[in-house]
Amino acid sequence: MRYNRPGLDIASHLLLIVGCALFFLPVWIAFSASTHEMGDLYSNVAPVWIGEAGLDNYRHLLEDPVSSLGADVMTLLFNSMIMALGIALGKIIISVLAAYAIVFFEFRFRKLCFWLIFITLMLPVEVRILPTFKVVADLNMLDSYAGLILPLIASATATFLLRQFYMTIPAELVEAARIDGAGPWRFLKDILLPLSKTNIAALFVIMFIYGWNQYLWPLLITTDADYLTIVVSLKRMLTTGDGLVPWQDVTATTLLAMGPPVLVILFMQRYFIKGLVDSEK
Amino acid sequence: MATLTLKQLKKQYPNGYKALHGIDLDFGEGELIVIVGPSGCGKSTLLRTLAGLEDISEGDLEINGKRVNDLEPAERDIAMVFQNYALYPHMSVFDNMAYGLRNRRTPKDEIQQRVSEAAELLGLTELLDRRPKQLSGGQRQRVAMGRAIVRKPQVFLFDEPLSNLDAKLRVQMRLEIRRLQKRLKVTSVYVTHDQTEAMTLADRLVVMNEGHVEQFGTPMALYDKPASKFVAGFIGSPAMNFLDATLEDASEGSGQDATLALPCGARLALRPETTVIDTVINNTLTLGIRPEHLDVLETDSPLPKGAAELNVQVELVEPLGADTLAYCRLAGQTEPLVVRLDGEHVVAEDQQLRLAITPARAHLFGADGRRLTTCS
Repeated sequence: MRYNRPGLDIASHLLLIVGCALFFLPVWIAFSASTHEMGDLYSNVAPVWIGEAGLDNYRHLLEDPVSSLGADVMTLLFNSMIMALGIALGKIIISVLAAYAIVFFEFRFRKLCFWLIFITLMLPVEVRILPTFKVVADLNMLDSYAGLILPLIASATATFLLRQFYMTIPAELVEAARIDGAGPWRFLKDILLPLSKTNIAALFVIMFIYGWNQYLWPLLITTDADYLTIVVSLKRMLTTGDGLVPWQDVTATTLLAMGPPVLVILFMQRYFIKGLVDSEK
Repeated sequence: MATLTLKQLKKQYPNGYKALHGIDLDFGEGELIVIVGPSGCGKSTLLRTLAGLEDISEGDLEINGKRVNDLEPAERDIAMVFQNYALYPHMSVFDNMAYGLRNRRTPKDEIQQRVSEAAELLGLTELLDRRPKQLSGGQRQRVAMGRAIVRKPQVFLFDEPLSNLDAKLRVQMRLEIRRLQKRLKVTSVYVTHDQTEAMTLADRLVVMNEGHVEQFGTPMALYDKPASKFVAGFIGSPAMNFLDATLEDASEGSGQDATLALPCGARLALRPETTVIDTVINNTLTLGIRPEHLDVLETDSPLPKGAAELNVQVELVEPLGADTLAYCRLAGQTEPLVVRLDGEHVVAEDQQLRLAITPARAHLFGADGRRLTTCS
């Protein structure tokens, strides 16, 4: 929409600037805090400008194990990355196959299968967390990547979204492929996946962030510092017993934790927006 | 090239709906068969069972004398052109045409050669790198045909391929399909609901209604001798006029002729050999006469021998250039009577016309809608 009213233009820009500032300010304060010595943060008012420590805190965090955690932040980022990628890719693979089966194949209890998947949409992880813990513990998967990833790997949301997309694919396209001699796997590989590229990219972004931000589940099943994830560690860094909270480290870790999701969004932005807005058909 | 034989082909859907009630047809090598009928008559279902996209409930389907009921579509050696083209949107024109060949593990250079041949035949050479989205409707249609041609199948199946095109392009593509089919000599089955398309394309025509074959024959045979009232009304444009009529006993008429009495009072003499229709004497019948077979008589000219005279009033005139259609009111008849006149013949609305029906041009249908065979 474009109205020919200069006043409106100015007002909307003002609003946008205020909005941006609102989002940016906390990030900036975290950043400036992360560049100070611990002493500065406790002796002064909250700093607004970059401090003298510069990026030393970051280097220190990435290279040396953090005392309250027993692991360096690099390991934490790596663990989070494995978990988030595992969850995102796993969810996509499973959802693609599940939606494919539900939409394109006729089998007994197809409707039932769909509804079973669909109603789990309404159940958050927390509801089934105790039985899930028991299962994972029995499978000896506590303190392992598999334990972090597997329980979160099925997604009703992704299955549902892909199903909705698949249902818009004209039946004639399926039939044309059948006449062209494409079996089920070939149809999936040659036609369905290329067509749902943008949807999958959008799902990947959403699921990656979902996986990256997992808190409760990793908190429950990891005790070994080697499998700590960064989001869980953030909280742990704040509980220091009698000592002072190392705010410069906490803010630096926070910013580092924000990095990968931001990169994923920037990288996938093109597909992501396309996938949410239109479908290429 | 192949023959296609359908033996008592039946299709019943799982919900119990019977779409096809025992179809018996025999298509010869290189024939272009058009299946025509109103929506829901089962023509698309029939085509889809030929393609193997629908299961056959009962009966046999043979291609070249080999039963193919249980073969997958890809194994039947057929190619299909769909109504909405069903091109793969993410593939180039070349890949769209090559996809079926690749799945059959055709060598690369042969794919290249076959696709370029087909592209040339269809005038698509310049467009091979484009995506379907970047093509016009007619071009997409050509790609869909190209995809069928490159496979060199035994049978082409067309499912209303022209219905998404505008009128002008439709005529053009119709000619192109006809030319292509004659050139490639591939047995083809073409489904349409457009009777003009059906008449112009077909070597032989199948008219379907409610899951039955009403009639199967050459377009002109169907036009000249429609087997039922349904076929008579479906083939020909504008549609045939139907008048209620009663057959009166020959003895009451003029000499040995049986006569047909129309509600408007006119009488039509029928030929002696029509005595087979004894059983329908005094029953209500339907007289069919095509708009182009109603002759206009000058006010003072005599009625041809054996003809019946109808006096009508023109209600509406539709000049088409070459022809003029006059919609006329006839006493005792609710539907307007359509008359096709020479384009030069000037008629005005509300004008009175004298029309003549000659027995040779009249079609007679019984109460069950079947043709009474000896009417002409």
